[in-house]
Amino acid sequence: MSDQALVLRGVTKAFAGHVAVKELSLEVPRGSVFGLLGPNGAGKTTTLRMVMNILGVDAGSIEILGHPADHATRDRIGYMPEERGLYPRMVLEEQLTFMASIKGVPRKTAAERMGPWLERLGLADWRRRKTNELSKGMQQKAQFIATVLHEPDVLIMDEPMSGLDPVGMDVMRDVMVDLSRRGITIVLSSHQMDTVEKLCDRVALINKGGKVLDGKVTEVKAAHGENTLVLAFDGDGSFLGSLPGVANVSDFGQYVEIRMSDGADPQVVLKEATARLRVRRFEIVVPSLHDIFVKTVTADGGEAA
Amino acid sequence: MPSKLWAVVRREYLERVRTKAFIIATVLGPILMGGIIVVPVALMGRGAKLLRVAVVDASGTLQAEVEEALRSARRDERPRFDVQPSGDGTAEARPSALKDAVLRGRLDGYLFLPEDTLDGSLATYYGRTVSNRMDLDLMRWRVNDVVVAHRVARAGLDAEEVKELTQSLELRTVRLSEEGEKEDRGVVGMLFAVILLGILYTSILMWGQVVMTSIIEEKGSRVIEVVASGVTPMFLLAGKLLGVGAAGLTQFLVWSLSLLGVSLAAVGPLAAGLTMPEITPLILASFLAFFLLGFAFYATLYAAIGSAVNTVQEAQNFVFPVIMPLILGFVCFLPVIESPDGALAVTLSLIPFLTPLLMFLRIVVLTPPWWQIALSLVLTGAAIWGALWAAARIYRVGILMYGKKPTFPELVRWVRHA
Repeated sequence: MSDQALVLRGVTKAFAGHVAVKELSLEVPRGSVFGLLGPNGAGKTTTLRMVMNILGVDAGSIEILGHPADHATRDRIGYMPEERGLYPRMVLEEQLTFMASIKGVPRKTAAERMGPWLERLGLADWRRRKTNELSKGMQQKAQFIATVLHEPDVLIMDEPMSGLDPVGMDVMRDVMVDLSRRGITIVLSSHQMDTVEKLCDRVALINKGGKVLDGKVTEVKAAHGENTLVLAFDGDGSFLGSLPGVANVSDFGQYVEIRMSDGADPQVVLKEATARLRVRRFEIVVPSLHDIFVKTVTADGGEAA
Repeated sequence: MPSKLWAVVRREYLERVRTKAFIIATVLGPILMGGIIVVPVALMGRGAKLLRVAVVDASGTLQAEVEEALRSARRDERPRFDVQPSGDGTAEARPSALKDAVLRGRLDGYLFLPEDTLDGSLATYYGRTVSNRMDLDLMRWRVNDVVVAHRVARAGLDAEEVKELTQSLELRTVRLSEEGEKEDRGVVGMLFAVILLGILYTSILMWGQVVMTSIIEEKGSRVIEVVASGVTPMFLLAGKLLGVGAAGLTQFLVWSLSLLGVSLAAVGPLAAGLTMPEITPLILASFLAFFLLGFAFYATLYAAIGSAVNTVQEAQNFVFPVIMPLILGFVCFLPVIESPDGALAVTLSLIPFLTPLLMFLRIVVLTPPWWQIALSLVLTGAAIWGALWAAARIYRVGILMYGKKPTFPELVRWVRHA
């Protein structure tokens, strides 16, 4: 048994006029929570669509759970696309049964399995109602059940949190953590960095159809060094950007985040700041994925999302 | 994979069949159809009430005889005229009172025979309704008989002898076919053929449209990509066509069987004097077969349109060129019915997108040679295959395309590169 849930080798896809994905290679280990990051138009959705065979690959190969991707292996994946929805006039339980049956689960089995899920997500009283009678939040929960009802080994979710209210996000996160503990591989595609940072142990960053970065979250952060500092102060801090060794200043209002150029000494900033401002807080922090994302994409010549 | 296809077919079928619109149309269709066929036949046969008419004779010699002739006139063994007294006064004075009576509804009309009736050739009927050709023809023949009899007597000839000598020739029409001789069904037969054609045309159009709108809905509700992650686009398209087609067939079967029922029932009591059109097993079978063929061809094209656009409004531009041939086929019914074995009819009925309507029409009005039917089936089958091939390619690309409506050249590119 392969210990990779998903392997992409040199996958390429071109549409009329432009190359959407260019010789992309990825490895998603079994049991990991994998974040696929990238700005809009980077090729995330196209990549996931190729994994699900909704689009064919022009070149390269895809392996799922150690086997070349085919219909049977794809049935082992639960896929929640970014463009998602349900049949509006279908009764909820029939909807879920149908979604499971197109993943190869017999209708009877699907009917038995949905009970606990409906209970857990608070939809038990709604199983005989039509989908268009459900609230937006309930529809999203129903959508999630439809994605996992066939008990997939791999869960792929494109922007899973988009459109969810804070309560919905919490429920979704709890369920994902739970599934991950049960050994299910989860692939999240998103540009909501905080979600990815909280949930994922691995990330890959793609830009303009190619991979620019990947690895364990801890390693990625370490590689980008402890060169970010947070400074809160009273007074005019406009001189901070011109200090030696300062690469970038992001003003968040309550505090500024300063990124140092490689090898520069943060102490210089501290010294100057205490001399000219009233410093309330000074902290050297590990860069957030957000910063790494912005820095890498900008360096790659793309627009950060 | 077949179980997934079955899941899609099942979903599509149930989603159509469970709607109120489907149930109403399925039940109401036969009732309406029954109405269209039975009511006129029943009315023509016996339902119409007697025509209340009066006779004004200015020549002074024909009054009693014409009244008697009208009283005894029979159509389908039933009297047609209720002859009323025409009142007092001169022949010139009476019409104004009669006209009044007609306008007030106490009389349906009156016949005016001028002074020179015996020498001339014109009488006039005044009535509220003058479009009842069959009754008025009957009136003309009966009055003509009386007038001619008078002229013959005046010329000193023997009335009976003259009648025998001038007896006109009737032309009976018999249709020959492999299944034997048949009395021609005349007007009713043609009406029947056009009704069947109309049902076929409407059903193909309607169910094709259902396929298109349901795909647009799947795109609109964004459910399509979820489904496409479990079933290949080809199976999804096939499942949709089969499921919707089965729902259409269900309705079509109900309609066809009730049509058969009506026509069987009508042979007895209602058909007095009128030959009800006969539904042969061949007609029934080809009715179903050509519905399925027409649906398969047109619904496939509709599916391609549905997957390429975002809204029903956007679809309109594409729909027109697709249904043009179907409309053309419907409009062509007259030349085909006039000369079902003519070169024009044979050629048209072999063109695949016209076949479902026109070959069917030819089968209803005459039995075309078997090789022609077979050839039309082969050609239509090939056309359906080609349409499916192109539609599947457009579908596969189109279901993921949101936003801008594609142009026709873009569609062609999708087909070429998919």
